[in-house]
Amino acid sequence: MQIVEYILASGVLLTTPILLAAMGGLFNRLGGIVNIGLEGKMLLGAIVALLVSANTNSWLLGILAAAFASSLAGLLFSILITRLNANMIIVGFGLNIFIAGLVGFYLKWFHGSSGTLKLENTVLLPKISIPFINDLPILGTLFSNKDPLTWISWLIALSMPWIIFKTRLGMRVRCAGSDEHVARAIGLNVKTLMDFSSSVAGFFAGLAGAHLSIGMLGLFSMGLISGRGFIALAAFYFGRNMPIRTSLVCLVFGILDSMQIRLQGLGLPSEPVQAIPWITVIGILSFMGWREHRNSQELG
Amino acid sequence: MNRSKSIFQDFLPIIISFGVGAVVLIFVGESPLEIYSLMLSEGFGSTRRIAATLSSATPLIFTAVATAVSFRSGVFNIGIEGAFILGGLAGAFVGFSMEMSHIFIHIFFCLLAGILVGGVWLYLPAWLRANWKVDEVVTTLMLNFIAVAIATGLVNGPLLAKGAGNNMTPMIHESAELLKLLPPSTLHAGFLIGLFILILYGFFCSNSLFGFENKMVGLNEFFSKTVGINTKKIIISSMLLSGAIGGLGGSCHALGVLHRYVEGFSPGYGWTGMAIALISKNSAIGILIGSILFGALASAGTTIQLFSDIPLDLIDVLQGTVMLLATITVFKFKKDNADR
Repeated sequence: MQIVEYILASGVLLTTPILLAAMGGLFNRLGGIVNIGLEGKMLLGAIVALLVSANTNSWLLGILAAAFASSLAGLLFSILITRLNANMIIVGFGLNIFIAGLVGFYLKWFHGSSGTLKLENTVLLPKISIPFINDLPILGTLFSNKDPLTWISWLIALSMPWIIFKTRLGMRVRCAGSDEHVARAIGLNVKTLMDFSSSVAGFFAGLAGAHLSIGMLGLFSMGLISGRGFIALAAFYFGRNMPIRTSLVCLVFGILDSMQIRLQGLGLPSEPVQAIPWITVIGILSFMGWREHRNSQELG
Repeated sequence: MNRSKSIFQDFLPIIISFGVGAVVLIFVGESPLEIYSLMLSEGFGSTRRIAATLSSATPLIFTAVATAVSFRSGVFNIGIEGAFILGGLAGAFVGFSMEMSHIFIHIFFCLLAGILVGGVWLYLPAWLRANWKVDEVVTTLMLNFIAVAIATGLVNGPLLAKGAGNNMTPMIHESAELLKLLPPSTLHAGFLIGLFILILYGFFCSNSLFGFENKMVGLNEFFSKTVGINTKKIIISSMLLSGAIGGLGGSCHALGVLHRYVEGFSPGYGWTGMAIALISKNSAIGILIGSILFGALASAGTTIQLFSDIPLDLIDVLQGTVMLLATITVFKFKKDNADR
């Protein structure tokens, strides 16, 4: 029972970065851009958050700086796509490699470290515990002692349907993403809307990275993100761009992540568990493809 | 179209990337001119350095050709990294598990294993793309991670070398090792195999019906279908071919350089190959030049790190910039699709 509780509790924490990145990526996807560069933006957010938090003694400035830096990276990524007609997949990969190169260079040159960085005076995210829920058996582990970013991530996830379906901005972004010509015809500035959605994706990816470095570990390492940006991508593909469904998928992936870490700790092979998100996404895409194929056959 | 301008645009990403690298170097107080000329001499300065460069270029030739084969036919296959890894594992497996007296036969079976595994690996996304129109970008991307998980799981479990603490298969038998061309450098016969594949690819592009149909499907799938090309067959076969070449590259790397499969087998050869295929616009000559350029960067980067403390990560900065800019169109030669 204790193991289950442990896996759930750390699963909720491990969901946070995936959920933040996935919400950003989903918003970007609705705006017409498949964001392969989430991984790199998370890495950037992670290092910036650690540096700023250690130098200003403020976690809040740390996460804000991370979000700002990554949204700038998102804007750069977007401008190459919208204004210079670059291929979004290639640019995404390029951004990941570019950022990893810059960050790795920085670490080796300025800190003489080949992969990890731990700074004194780093202020970590505080844990918020709620008096009554704390003592309840399962709810306690799920909800108590969570950092502000975890709360924010779920707040964003739950308000996402409203943002994208009810607000003017959300509808415009979706319109720009789903039909460029219609969007232009009704007078929307498609490229700016796309750039905006990419900056939002960068913003959230930056927060996601910050959560990993100053929320969970208290240090930075080059392998910190370890594919979580792509897991986020898998999550919104699996959730078919529906925010609530995607958040639940993120939760499942977070718990799987926690399971595989636990398995690794026990010296058991964790690779089969690691592969589950990737396999399920191929499965769901195949299923959707098959269904559409069948429907089109029936129609004639 | 103005030819000199077009060539300029082809080289633009590379020129700008060296500019970005120079900015980074100036920022940390180093002279870009000095570092770049050091890199040039470390990359091409002597026979030995050239051999090291060609050795680093070898896996890239395979992954770039593999990428180009499918990009040409309009299939956005980004699963070469996975095919390379599993091909390498398969080659190493046949290399250490079977004993064969004759060197060529053993090598032949090792390479065949790589080819088959690489091809089979990309059959699923190919079939899904051809028949159910499942987005191959996402499926092949995900398959890379699955490939890493499979390979890591196997080399930490059933295929782990006895006595080795971590993540590697046993050494392959000597009969499976590819010939060293210029010892003591790591340049091996795999480079010749890569050149051979590259020449075949050049021939395939310009002189074969299959290559022509491939290009047609890439240019306009709907039109090709209308004029009677079996687009499904072309899509599947080009992806199988692409996976097979990637797998062959992996097994050559295992037999020629590492002589086993180790975790971290590919430091992203698939992605570098993709960058090369893109900037060379799938041309065979361009792939050769690009592979040698990136090979030189990789081999020179390692020695630069040793001699001048410039982190090897500078190479990633350059490569990342090339990829960021590889597909942009600065001069509007073509009619802008978005403004139709």
